Amino acid sequence: MRAPPGPVTVFLVDDDPAVLRAVGRLLRSAGLNVTTFHSPQEFLDRQNPEAPGCLVLDVTMPGLNGLELQQALIRAGNHLPIIFLTGNGDIPMTVRAMKSGAVDFFRKPCPDEELLAAIGRALAHDQLFRQRRAEEQALADLLATLTPREHEVMLGVVAGKLNKQIAAELGTVEKTIKVHRGRVMEKLHVASVAELVRLSERGGAFARGG
Amino acid sequence: MSWVTVIWSMTASACLTLALVHGLIWVRQRDAWANLLFALAAVGTAALAWYELAMMRAETLAAFGSALRWGHLAVWVVFVSLVGFVRWYLQAGRPWLAWSACAVRTLSLLLNFLTGQSLNYREITGLRHIPLFGESVSVAEGVANPWMLVGILSLLLLMIFVADAALAVWRRGDRRQALAVGGSIVGFVLAGSMQAVLVLRGKIHWPVTSSLFFTGIVAAMGYELSREVLRASQLSRELRASEHQMRLAAEAARMGTWLREFDQKEIQATEQWRDLFGFTKSEALHLEYFFQRIHPDDREMMRQTLTQSNRSDGRYQTEYRVMLPGGQMRWIASQGRVEFNARGKPVRVRGVSLDITHRKQADSERQEHRNEVAHLLRVASLGELSSALSHELNQPLAAILSNAQAGQRFLAKDDVDLQEIRDLLRDIVADDQRASEVIRRLRLLLKKGEFQPQPLDANELIQDVLSLMDFELASRAILVVKELTAAMPPVRGDRVQLQQVLINLILNAGDAMGQTPTNARSLIVRSSRVENNFIRISVADTGTGITPGSEEKIFEPYHTTKLHGLGLGLSLSRSIVVAHGGRLAAENQTRGGAMFHLILPEWKGDAR
Repeated sequence: MRAPPGPVTVFLVDDDPAVLRAVGRLLRSAGLNVTTFHSPQEFLDRQNPEAPGCLVLDVTMPGLNGLELQQALIRAGNHLPIIFLTGNGDIPMTVRAMKSGAVDFFRKPCPDEELLAAIGRALAHDQLFRQRRAEEQALADLLATLTPREHEVMLGVVAGKLNKQIAAELGTVEKTIKVHRGRVMEKLHVASVAELVRLSERGGAFARGG
Repeated sequence: MSWVTVIWSMTASACLTLALVHGLIWVRQRDAWANLLFALAAVGTAALAWYELAMMRAETLAAFGSALRWGHLAVWVVFVSLVGFVRWYLQAGRPWLAWSACAVRTLSLLLNFLTGQSLNYREITGLRHIPLFGESVSVAEGVANPWMLVGILSLLLLMIFVADAALAVWRRGDRRQALAVGGSIVGFVLAGSMQAVLVLRGKIHWPVTSSLFFTGIVAAMGYELSREVLRASQLSRELRASEHQMRLAAEAARMGTWLREFDQKEIQATEQWRDLFGFTKSEALHLEYFFQRIHPDDREMMRQTLTQSNRSDGRYQTEYRVMLPGGQMRWIASQGRVEFNARGKPVRVRGVSLDITHRKQADSERQEHRNEVAHLLRVASLGELSSALSHELNQPLAAILSNAQAGQRFLAKDDVDLQEIRDLLRDIVADDQRASEVIRRLRLLLKKGEFQPQPLDANELIQDVLSLMDFELASRAILVVKELTAAMPPVRGDRVQLQQVLINLILNAGDAMGQTPTNARSLIVRSSRVENNFIRISVADTGTGITPGSEEKIFEPYHTTKLHGLGLGLSLSRSIVVAHGGRLAAENQTRGGAMFHLILPEWKGDAR
């Protein structure tokens, strides 16, 4: 279900073909990988939502406008960082965009350094986000290999309970708990209880994954 | 004193007097044929009376015979004149009857001279003296001429002709005329011929007194004609009165009237007219002098108007400027009508000219005022559009900047892609042109110009305005639908002012759709030809529509439904359109929303 992540790309959406061509050219001149779209709808139809990169978006466009595209992406769980470019941004519009998580907001015409710097930040943000999400995913995958009983035992261990206490809670003998505990340490590739606790902290709440 | 002499010579002189009066009328007025014919009949009657008197006084057979013979010539004159009078005056009677009666009478006149001793007697054998009014007069005795039947036939034909004509007149409704003319002719001719026949046959002892009967006819005709004269004088009195009133009205309105006969050089004109065009009272007025007075710019137009009016229905109406000798300018409105003769050839032209300088001045002041207000409102509506306009300018500027900066980066690299640089420079040029086009359009709109009508393509006008408002409409999420009719003739109008009207209508449509859901906001702009050489531009929206019943009210000044509106947009728009000779109207659409119709005249050359 998950497409292989392509090369890092700047997705550019503007209904004005001249501006689209010019900004696309500027980004390519800075060595960036650029894909251009003439409308938000075209972006939604054509673009793989999982592709890494960032979105540079015009605000006022016929049909779906830039802010509406932003909302649509948020609803779809797409966290692509967005930089807005506008011909006449007013303050309420800017506030709305930034509150919804836009990386930056520029008025056209804008100086290239600022735009490129913002794009750099956005790409870094995207990369970091994807990396963290990949780690969480790996951890979740690992947790998914535990049996329900092993999972219960692990929760008890992380909570700092003794084997005896855990056995009493689960209604079994201490020896069985020991076996389960050994298998948890093995499956999660940890050598000590301290390591297991750190792992659990990184993975957030030890909710059941998978 | 002899009664016979008194009666007959008085008859003759009365007839001659009447003949003289009506003969003179005819001399003065050559188309008064009825008067001439009457005069001839009266002269004939007088001559007949003279011959009858000669017959009564004749002492020898030869004298009597000769008077009788020549008397027939007088009868012939009366006869033919009567026929002509009936045809001419009553405008009735069958022509073939008229011609036959005259022909038979002419034949009898010939027989009168060629057979026997006259039409009546083959031979006069003797004279008899009989008493009349206490004295002795001569009557003839002899053998009757059988050709007399021809004379009787002619009299019968005359009576049939006149009776038929009188009947036609009676039916036409002129009963009095039918009776006076027809009745008297038929009655007196019948009585006269009966008497003649009886006398000649020797049945009664009495001289022939036809002239007395004819005098009756002449009296009836004279009475009829005198009514005409009376009516004419009545008419001329009324005419003088109405002419007087006309002159008063013309003076009050500073209106001059004139008349030009095509076969005469001079124009006849009233004093007011001369005054209007700066001519003195006695100065000769030729058509060419008139043209000299007309403003050079209007002269050719005026010549064409006059030439064309001879060809069409002969009416024309025009407004032009006149340069007075003092250098002063005056606006004149003229209306004229060419009169044609029966063969359709133009004979004369008459007309009235009016000083409309004040009206024109007021018009131009009003126009100036309107230009001023139009400019102010234009600036105001551009203010409303300012963010859209700054977007229009920012787009190409942004593209230029990005292209230029990209160029710098490309050139800083080791291997320069020249094709990329070429493309980029070409884009910069195009974007720059786009920006200056926006500025040009803006400048045109902001220009404080005079009203300058020129041929305009309605579709181009629509496209221009829509491209100027493209962003404004997009940012209000309004879908624009264009339904333009291709290949229409141009309209006559001032570009800036009509653009302003359209901008106003489109902005209003946008405002009206403020509460409409964004997916249902559409603006439909339509162009089409309508009857009578007009072009219609319709602007429709899917907004709230117009409150029913106020479709006209919205055009009143200071009527507004907007919170911050001045309420001048539509009233000004309408006055602009009316000044163009067009109309601006509004209606609600059945499926909701309002529709405005801007109707403009087609361009037909620079005709005033």
